[in-house]
Amino acid sequence: MLPDHMSLLRDAQACIAKQASRKNLNAFISLAEKTAVLKAAEDADRGSVQGPLAGRLIGVKDNISTSDLPTTCASGILQKYTSPYDATVISKLRQAGGIVAGKTNLDEFGMGSHSKHSFFGPVVQENGDNTMRSVGGSSGGSAAAVATGQCWAALGTDTGGSVRLPAAYTGIVGFKPSYGLLSRWGVVAYANSLDTVGILSQSSVDSKQIFDVLSGYDPRDPTSLPKSTRARISKFAGKRFQRGPLRIGVPAEYNITTLSPTVHSSWISTLSYLQAQGHTIHHVFLPTTKQALSAYYVLAPAEASSNLAKYDGVRFGTRAEGPDGATSVLFSATRGQGFGDEVKRRILLGAYTLSADAIDNYFIQAQKVRRLVQRDFDKAFRSPNPLHEEEIDSGEATENEGVDVLVCPTAPTLTPTIEDLDAQNPLDAYKNDVFTVPASLAGLPAISIPVTVPEANEKVGIQVIGQFGHDELVLDIGSIIEKQPT
Amino acid sequence: MLNFVPGLQIPKSFYMAARPIGGPIAGAWQTKRLFVCHIFRSLQTSHTTGEIVVPFGKQLKDEAKKKRQYGESKSSRKASKGADPRLEKWELTVGIEIHAELNTARKLFSSAATSINAAPNSHVSLVDVAFPGSQPEFQKETLIPALRAAIALNCDIQRKSSFDRKHYFYQDQPAGYQITQFYEPFAKDGSITLYDHDGIAPEDGQSITIGIKQIQMEQDTAKTVQQPPTTHLLDFNRVSHPLIEVITLPHIHHPSTAAACVRKIQSILRSMNAVTAGMEEGGLRADVNVSVRERHKELPEDAAKSYYGVTGLGQRTEIKNLSSFKAVEDAIIAERDRQIDVLENGGVIEGETRGWTLGSTETKRLRGKEGEIDYRYMPDPDLNVVVIGQELESYLRETLPKSPSQLADVLCDSDGYGLTMFDAKKLVALDREDRLDYYMDVVHLLRQSLSDKEQAISKVGKIAANWVLNDLDSLLTTVEGSWSASAITAQTLCDIIVPLTRREITRATANSLIDKILAGDAREVHQIISEENLALVPLSDGDYLRMATDLVEANPDIVKAIQVKRQKGKIGWFVGQMMKTGEEGRIEAARAERALKNVLEVE
Repeated sequence: MLPDHMSLLRDAQACIAKQASRKNLNAFISLAEKTAVLKAAEDADRGSVQGPLAGRLIGVKDNISTSDLPTTCASGILQKYTSPYDATVISKLRQAGGIVAGKTNLDEFGMGSHSKHSFFGPVVQENGDNTMRSVGGSSGGSAAAVATGQCWAALGTDTGGSVRLPAAYTGIVGFKPSYGLLSRWGVVAYANSLDTVGILSQSSVDSKQIFDVLSGYDPRDPTSLPKSTRARISKFAGKRFQRGPLRIGVPAEYNITTLSPTVHSSWISTLSYLQAQGHTIHHVFLPTTKQALSAYYVLAPAEASSNLAKYDGVRFGTRAEGPDGATSVLFSATRGQGFGDEVKRRILLGAYTLSADAIDNYFIQAQKVRRLVQRDFDKAFRSPNPLHEEEIDSGEATENEGVDVLVCPTAPTLTPTIEDLDAQNPLDAYKNDVFTVPASLAGLPAISIPVTVPEANEKVGIQVIGQFGHDELVLDIGSIIEKQPT
Repeated sequence: MLNFVPGLQIPKSFYMAARPIGGPIAGAWQTKRLFVCHIFRSLQTSHTTGEIVVPFGKQLKDEAKKKRQYGESKSSRKASKGADPRLEKWELTVGIEIHAELNTARKLFSSAATSINAAPNSHVSLVDVAFPGSQPEFQKETLIPALRAAIALNCDIQRKSSFDRKHYFYQDQPAGYQITQFYEPFAKDGSITLYDHDGIAPEDGQSITIGIKQIQMEQDTAKTVQQPPTTHLLDFNRVSHPLIEVITLPHIHHPSTAAACVRKIQSILRSMNAVTAGMEEGGLRADVNVSVRERHKELPEDAAKSYYGVTGLGQRTEIKNLSSFKAVEDAIIAERDRQIDVLENGGVIEGETRGWTLGSTETKRLRGKEGEIDYRYMPDPDLNVVVIGQELESYLRETLPKSPSQLADVLCDSDGYGLTMFDAKKLVALDREDRLDYYMDVVHLLRQSLSDKEQAISKVGKIAANWVLNDLDSLLTTVEGSWSASAITAQTLCDIIVPLTRREITRATANSLIDKILAGDAREVHQIISEENLALVPLSDGDYLRMATDLVEANPDIVKAIQVKRQKGKIGWFVGQMMKTGEEGRIEAARAERALKNVLEVE
C-alpha cells in the first residue's frame, strides 16, 4: 500500500488494474502506455506537475483527436488513423495536469444509442444476475470506463443525448454544457450544429471541475462563443442560488404513456425531495417536444451525410484495394467497406432529406421545428436567452414568471438488456433519445444525475435542463439531487 | 503550433505513421509531394462537375493546329457575319456565369497563403485537406476584392450573407463538398453596360445593359495532374483559393455581345485589382447558358422557361468551362446553330450540359438531365453569417478605382486629355494600366514645364499620347525592346518633348536622344543636348538662301526637271539634300523648302 501522499499514483494503479480486469466490457479502443501514465501520476503526487486536474486519469471518447493515440471514431475507415494534432479540449486537459487514460469505445462517429455500432465490437455492462446490458450510447465506452473505475472521469460528445443517456444507463453523472462553451476544434464532426463535448464522472462536483478547465473561447472553432457572449452569460446566469428558492419546471409533455413506472416514481421522488428543500414545482408546457425527435433525426443525419463526405481514403484513413473509380461511383469501394451499417443508414437518410425534391418537406421543416423548440424553452425559462443579444441590450428581455430549471427523466425506460436490443429495430433505438434531443436542438446545458430506486435495485437518470449559459446552475442542482437519500 | 514539415503543413510523423497516399506509387509522394488518386479514365466523362479544364496554353496550340489544318476561312467569326437567314426567325438568348480567382493573400477558409506556381502541396492547412476535426476559418479580408468587384458591377451589397455546402464527390474536392453561397449571396441585382466600342453586335446598337443576378463567393478545388492511364496526382495548393462567381441574366442575344460582356467584366475586375489573372492566364472561366426561341411567337405556357424574372425562354443548355473570349463566342454560335437545326427538324431541345473544344464546329453532349447531380445544398453549420457593415461598403465605394470605361471617358474629355476613344481605349488596355499611369505622369510633368500658352498651342494630351502610344514603341522595336516605365522614364520623355515643342531641337534629334538613352547613356537629356551640341541654333534666312543656291547650282538637271518639266515633287529631293548637308538636326524642313522655292522661283 502506498502512503497517503501518493494517493494519485494509488488511484492510477487502481484504474489500470480495472482496465485489465474489465477488459471484457470493451470500454477502451486504445490505452495509454502504462508506465507513462504511472509516471505522470507520480509526478503529480510529488508536485512537479500541478493544475486542477493534476494526476487524474481521464478517458477520452475516440472521436476527439489526440496526437499520441489513434482517433478511430470506432470506424473501419479510420481504424488506423492517428491525428496530427490534439483537439483544443485535449490541450486544455493536459495543461491542467490531466492524464489521457486511453481512447474509449463508441457508436461509429457517435451514431447510436447503445454503443453497439462499433468497428471494435460493442461495449457492454454486466448486471448482478449476469445478464449483459446496454451502456447507452454513443459515449458508452466513456460511461462504462467511469462506472467501473477504469478512469477517474471521461470526455464524451453529446449530439442528441450521447453523454446523458449512457450516464443514465450506467448510473453516473453525464453533463452536456451549453453549445459553444467547449471548443470543438479537433472533435470529429457528426452533426456539428448539435455536437457538444460532454463530461462523464462520478459526481457533479467532478464534472464542474473539468468543465471549468475546458470552457473558454477558441478562435479555431468558429462556433465557439466569443468573450462578449460569455460576459453577457455571467451577467445573467450569475447569482441565481443566493436569491433563495428556485422555481423547478416539470414539462407535461415528458409524461408519456410509454414511461417506465420505475422511472416515473424516481422522477416524482426527486421532485418531492426538491420541494422538501424549499424549492417550488411548476408545470410548464413545451408543445413542440413531440416533433423534436423527428426534427433531430432529419437534421443530424443531414449534417452527418455532409460531414462524412470527406472520408474517401485519399488523404487519410483506410482505402479499399484497387482504383478509386473501379466501380461506377468514385470512392464507393472505400466508403462501402469503411463505414458500418448504422452510419450508412444515416448517410442515406441525410442525403435523401437534403435532396432537391425532399429538402422542403424535411430539412427545411425540421429547421423550423428546431426554432419552435428553442422558443418553447425560452418561454418556459424565467431568464432571457443570452444569445438574443438585441432583446437583452434593448432591455426588452426581462425575467418573467418562468422557471429556473426543468427536471425530467433522461430516458423513458430502465437500462435495456442486450437481449432487448436485439429485438429492436433502428426506429426503436431512435426513440431512446426522446427526452435528451430537445435540449440538444436548443443548445441548452443538461445533466443526467443517477437516482437510486430501492425497490428496483437500479439507478435511474434524472435530467436537469437550464437556460442557455446556466451551466453552473444546472451543475449545482445536479449536486443537490445527488444528495437525495435513497 | 504544430511542427510543420516543408511541403505540406502537417507534421511529418503523421505521414510516417499512417499512410496518407495511394498504395501503388506511394514513393512518388516523397519526390513529387503530390497525393495520388487512381480512377479509371472513363470516370472523366461520367463525373458530373464538368471541371475538365484544358490549360489555356494547350488550347492555343490546339487552335493554331486546327487553323493550319483547315485554313483561316473556316473561322466561325466569318461564318457569323454571313447573314444566316434562319436568324431572322430564331432569336438567341444567352446568360453567362463567370468564375474568377480573387487576388487575396490567404485562402477563403484557412490562413494558408494563396499561391500560383509554388511547389505542390506547400500551402495547405489541415482544413484545406479536410482532416477530421478541423474547422473552416473564414478570412474576412478576402471580402475586400469581392466587394470592390460587386460595387463596380453595380450590385446591391447584402448586409447579411451566408455560406452553403455544395456536395459532390471528386478527387479534387477534399471535403466532398464545395463551400459556396447558394441561398444568400453577398451581392445581388447588379448590371453592366456595354457600348459599341466594347465590341457588341451591331444589332445591339450603341449600348446594351445586361443584368447581373448575383455574385457569390466560393472556394476553388485542388489541381489534378494527370498521369495516364489511371493515375491522378493532386496538388492542394489551390484548394480554397477564393473565387467569385458572377451570374448574368439571360439578357444577351448575340454571340459577339456575349464575348464583349466577358471581356468587359474581366477588364473591370482587373481594374479593381480584384483578380489574380485574366482569362488568357487561366484566372477566369466562363459557363454559358444558351437557348433559342422563335421571334414574334409566344411559347406555349407549359413549354416556356423562365429565369429570375426573364420569361418566355426556350429550353436552355449549358456549355461549361470556356477559357477564352473566342471560345465563348464560337461555342455560342455552334450551340445556337445546333439548337436551330434540331428545332427546324421538328426536334426538342433537351436540358443538358455540353462541352466545347476550341477549333471545333460543334458542342458535344457531356450529360443529360438524368445525369445531373443533386448538389444537396445545405447551410454550413460551422460558418457564421457574414455581416457587411454600411461603413465598409461606403469606404470601398469612395476609394474604388475607376473602371476602364470611366477612365476612357476621362481621357476623351476635351477639357482634359482630348484623346480619341480609339486612343483612350488602347491606352487603358495596355500593360495592365501601367502605360496609362506612365502617360498621366508624362502629361503632368509637361503641364508643369510648359506655360499655359505653350500648352494651349501644343495640345499636351495628344502630343504625349502620340509619344506614349506610337513613337516610343517604334523606337523600342528597332532595339528589340518592349515598353516599360523604366526604359525611358516619364521625366526623360518630358525633358525631350519640352525642347521639341519649343523648337529647340528637331524631331530627328529627339529620336536620336531616345536611341542614346536606350543604348545606356545615363546623362540627363539637357546635358546630352549641350555636350553634343544638339540644340537647334536657328539659321538666318540668308544662311538658308546660300545653301539653297549652292545646291541648285550643283544640280542643273534636277532644276531643269522642276522648272521645265514641272516635276515639283523633286523639290522634296532638294530639301532632303539640305537636311543632309546641314549640321545634324539643325535644318528645319519648312524653312529649307521656302528658301529653295525662292531660289528656284517656283510656287
